Amino acid sequence: MKLSTVWLDGLWDRNPGLIQLLGLCPLLAVSNTLENAIGLGLATLFVLVLSNASISLIRTLVDDAIRLPIFVLVIAALTTCAELLVQALDYQLYQSLGIFLPLIVTNCLILGRAEALAKRETIVMSTIDGLAQGLGFFLVLVSLGALREWMSGTLILAALPPGAFIALGLLVAIHQWIQGKLKQKPTEQSMDQTNRRVRTTGDIS
Amino acid sequence: MTVRLTLFGLITSLFVGLVYVMTKPVIIEAKEQARQEKLYLLAAPLLANGRIASPVQRELPDDAPASFEHPLSITPIVTDAEQLGVVLPITALQGYSGPIQLLLALDQQQRIVGVRAIEHRETPGLGDRIETRKSDWMLAFNGLRYDDLAPDDWAVQNDGGQFDSFTGATITPRAVVDALKETLAYLARHPVILEASP
Repeated sequence: MKLSTVWLDGLWDRNPGLIQLLGLCPLLAVSNTLENAIGLGLATLFVLVLSNASISLIRTLVDDAIRLPIFVLVIAALTTCAELLVQALDYQLYQSLGIFLPLIVTNCLILGRAEALAKRETIVMSTIDGLAQGLGFFLVLVSLGALREWMSGTLILAALPPGAFIALGLLVAIHQWIQGKLKQKPTEQSMDQTNRRVRTTGDIS
Repeated sequence: MTVRLTLFGLITSLFVGLVYVMTKPVIIEAKEQARQEKLYLLAAPLLANGRIASPVQRELPDDAPASFEHPLSITPIVTDAEQLGVVLPITALQGYSGPIQLLLALDQQQRIVGVRAIEHRETPGLGDRIETRKSDWMLAFNGLRYDDLAPDDWAVQNDGGQFDSFTGATITPRAVVDALKETLAYLARHPVILEASP
């Protein structure tokens, strides 16, 4: 796998927020203000990079039978650390993120990356993938937060839960539209590629 | 395999423990600061004429309700001549996801100056409407004394009382109202607890 593909996948082609649509719960719930979005985006990025790195580090020691419990253990430990750190660094942010900070542990993006890539790639590759996917998630979360905070001044709906769905739908549509423009004259092969279902998890054992 | 799993469990726990120990003092300080800020906001009506005195520790008798901490730390609001009121922490133990920490400000007639949730784990969008930045629910207590309402009215509407019970999350407001009722009833019988210099 090429490094440029990893970056492009995370940030655009298979963006976790816009294409894979992973981690929707925090994405929709915490994007009501820009500050919350930045806080949760950074915390998720932190957990994702470290979980990818450490899972890649221990990948040779883990066999299939204990793979999932150990991945969950690592992710849970890192999430607890993230929670403690946010609490220590910015207590107000900790209070406004509330339950969504510990819920990073259930963000399928993180276990998804561990399964899809980190369990077989090198540390460098896994860390960069964590950075790329985490940044992709961060950028969508922050765009949503900014959009909703900016619009809620004139349109109260933007600050409410339905506003989150509508705004995310808008972003997905824009992404698709740009994607369509980029591939104006699709060849048979690239048509095939765009229609393929995105694979987000690894194998089942 | 089991050995390996146990080993991983130990290593990750050790890691979390390390971060916990490192962040603990900072977190305690941050919590205390957040509490102080809330205290200033809560006691603002009293602070127009008074100032915050240093906290007083109170040993409570055994029959005190569970909503009090032991020992109870009360923060008097005073002028040079007299006490204007007091701020004290109380805990609503029956929250939906664990205890709800509240801060309660009372004047000398035990009238509620203000009450705020300072720490809780209630469900976002449902139970968290006890927070004043989410809804005005908590403000309904302002200005009330225990005697102002019949004992049965100190309850959420679902239980026949006069405080709004949130749709879909009655447990949270019920916990708060019950804790307040219990606390105020007890303090009305034992007013001396709130006197900084009895």
